[in-house]
Amino acid sequence: MSALLEINHVTKKFGGLTANNDITFSVHENEILSVIGPNGAGKSTLFKMISSFLPTTNGEVLFKGERISNLRPHIVARKGIVRTFQETTIFKSMTVRESIIVAQHLRAKASLAGYFWGTKTAHEDVESFGHYADDLIEFLGMSEIAGEQASNLPQGNLRALGIAIGLATDPKVLLLDEPFAGMNHDETMSMVDLVRKVRDEREVTVLLVEHDMSAVMKISDRIVVLNFGEMIAEGTPLEIQNDERVIEAYLGSADDEIGI
Amino acid sequence: MLKLSLTQWIGAGVFFAAVFVVAPVTIAVLGRTDLFYTLTSVGLLAIASAGVWLTFYIGRINIGQGAFALLGAYVSAILVTKAGMSFWISLPIAGLFAAFVAVLIGLPILRLKGVYFAMITLVLTQVFTLTALALPITNGAKGITSIPLPGELSVLGLTLIPDFATLDNPRQAFYYTTAVLMVLTFAAMYRLVNSRLGHLCRSMQQNEELASSIGVNIAYIRIVIYAIASFFGGVGGAMFGSIAQSVYPSSFQVADSVNFMLNCFLGGLGYVFGPMLGTFVLYFGWDLLFEFGKYQMLIYSSVLIFLILVLPNGLLSLRLSKKRGQDK
Amino acid sequence: MEQILANGIYLGSQYAMIALGLTLIFALMNVLNFAHGQMYVLGGFVTYTFYGQMGFPFVVGLLMSCVTLFVLGALIEKFLFGPVIKRSSREESTMLLAAGLAFFLDAVILLVFGEKQRGVPKIVDGVFNWDFRLIMPYDRILICVLAIISIVGFILFMQYTKTGRALRALAQDRTAAQLMGVNVDRYSMIGFALGAMLAGLVGGLLVTITGINLGMGGPTSIKAFMMVMIGGAGVISGAIAGGIILGFLEAIGLAVLYQYGDITYLLIFVSLMIFLAFRPQGLMGKPWG
Repeated sequence: MSALLEINHVTKKFGGLTANNDITFSVHENEILSVIGPNGAGKSTLFKMISSFLPTTNGEVLFKGERISNLRPHIVARKGIVRTFQETTIFKSMTVRESIIVAQHLRAKASLAGYFWGTKTAHEDVESFGHYADDLIEFLGMSEIAGEQASNLPQGNLRALGIAIGLATDPKVLLLDEPFAGMNHDETMSMVDLVRKVRDEREVTVLLVEHDMSAVMKISDRIVVLNFGEMIAEGTPLEIQNDERVIEAYLGSADDEIGI
Repeated sequence: MLKLSLTQWIGAGVFFAAVFVVAPVTIAVLGRTDLFYTLTSVGLLAIASAGVWLTFYIGRINIGQGAFALLGAYVSAILVTKAGMSFWISLPIAGLFAAFVAVLIGLPILRLKGVYFAMITLVLTQVFTLTALALPITNGAKGITSIPLPGELSVLGLTLIPDFATLDNPRQAFYYTTAVLMVLTFAAMYRLVNSRLGHLCRSMQQNEELASSIGVNIAYIRIVIYAIASFFGGVGGAMFGSIAQSVYPSSFQVADSVNFMLNCFLGGLGYVFGPMLGTFVLYFGWDLLFEFGKYQMLIYSSVLIFLILVLPNGLLSLRLSKKRGQDK
Repeated sequence: MEQILANGIYLGSQYAMIALGLTLIFALMNVLNFAHGQMYVLGGFVTYTFYGQMGFPFVVGLLMSCVTLFVLGALIEKFLFGPVIKRSSREESTMLLAAGLAFFLDAVILLVFGEKQRGVPKIVDGVFNWDFRLIMPYDRILICVLAIISIVGFILFMQYTKTGRALRALAQDRTAAQLMGVNVDRYSMIGFALGAMLAGLVGGLLVTITGINLGMGGPTSIKAFMMVMIGGAGVISGAIAGGIILGFLEAIGLAVLYQYGDITYLLIFVSLMIFLAFRPQGLMGKPWG
């Protein structure tokens, strides 16, 4: 297996505070890798650096050997690394279908002026966006809510909509920001199935940061564990479950739920 | 190319008839040629307001359109009086120059959001007024006066537009010119809003982070939109200068910038034609209240406040509120 | 040099007070109060009426300015901004309302006080003269001292009284303040009233020096916006810093560039734009978005 995404000695400092210290691991093609850790471990900072929403202080992130850290987010997206957000970040006054159509921006062949003048390529694009959107909606099982305005959707659907928007860009790597946060057991399980399905059928490599251990154990091929900004373990779910440092880290922070 | 529904065709037809037939005929019958000037003003202000509306479409409250209207007016006036250029060539140049300046200014300030952007654009209007006062080329507070009326525009010996100075009623000519410009502006706006660029604007209006995460170059689109918006401001201002045949630093001030914004808000931010309706209503409303003499401002502002309280989404929301949710 | 310094302090203290009111309203309700300049003008006219026309002592005039604007601010919040904010949190709704309000107050001032420039008798006569190195009329010094006392008073009020603490909590996090049991409606009203009162107080103070006229509202609002942008919106220390900085820039600019007229303001505007390009949140504002 080759490394698709490499996180090389990535460090982030905010003033005197070190949020991530010298993190190194890689994500292989077509795997699901989860980054976990107790609150304040530096998961979301790392996540933002991988998606270029934050610059790194030191180190770099490579995609197929090419540096993608410290670029602007839309350029990273163009290279095929697309992140999702937690559920409040959606296009509130668009319907599900409209959101998915807008999100296919990267698939557009015609220029913006082309759309304005209504060139042939633009018409073909518009048609292809529609087909692709309908396909995706069916794939994600969202046909019933396709015409609903996002602001009217319940929370569970919003998470799926976020993933749908990400998938609409036809990414190679999908970065998921706490996809299971605040979900009950059933919701978590259907989300686990959905992410699996995305990986299996859309051939998307998935990197996610998550708090919920039980979901992570079920879904991940490999897991990276952070604690206080340091990477303390890397391995398969089984290895992680038996890693003493991980257990200690989780037991050490009493306010955290332990799902092992 | 344009896929319009039947109602839209009828609407467009009624609109064209009103602008190009009903209004001129009514004015002729009533003999109120002064109304040409009023309607021309409405049209030009609507063009400038369209720019403000467009900036709102990417989620920025623009209270600086007066700056670009002033800029356009000066550029055209200077080109016509000092370089002897034809007004018809100076008009697009005024728009393009305004767009160019908008790009330069937009690079730093478009990073600001919400009230911060609103404040800085308001300040911008003041900056332009002061610049006009300070620069030698704008002739300071004295302004540029006796600008000649637009001359003839001919292509290959064919006269497209006659020399305005030879006409019996230049006001009528200005009216038609403005009407054509306004129709072009709003047709372009409609097209833009319903094309991919418009969709991307909407995505940015709702969430810039998410838009950039799906690969939209938000900085680029912000600049493009701001430039287009300022182009409208520049063209509107240049026309105004030509009609008044003079430009002063006070031709467009902070109050004008605020009015452009009010036109858009009142018409409705969710509707392309909002700024047109808003300008029309506010301008005529103000004119109608003239009879109340010193109470004009009081009644005007009270009605305005009342409208904001009862119609937060603008006048057009009255008819269309069921069709589109406007909650942000 | 001493003269510029003194002028800077004098201008800065006035400006800081204006900015304080604006930033307080902004921090509490996320409202950009376009009508702030008009409130200032109104305050000036009230003092003019009581002190200049009716012959009451100056202090009574000031007090009436404060009371009038406090009551007006409270009413405006209760019947205009409050309901609009409840219905939609969109910034443009309140901005539009504030613009309408600015027109409305302009109209009221025009009807009640007319459009003439009005002045009042000097509150103290004489000029302080230190060897011609520093010349300043006594009334300016007195106004400057009063302004500084008011600012200090305001800070102490915000820091140590129950109301002040509640207002600060509200400014920091509306929802959290509500959960802590702060009566959000009531304190929004008080906060808005206080902000308006500060504007009125400066108007009352400055009418003794510059006089007052209808046209001063808009430019005052613009200056207040600039100060708030320099210092960072919604931060008390930022408003004070912004006011003092603008005061000094103006004092220096007018001294150095007086023969070029309005170029001072142009330079200030341009530098503000460059400054904001690098530090969009202002000196002390929190980074956002």
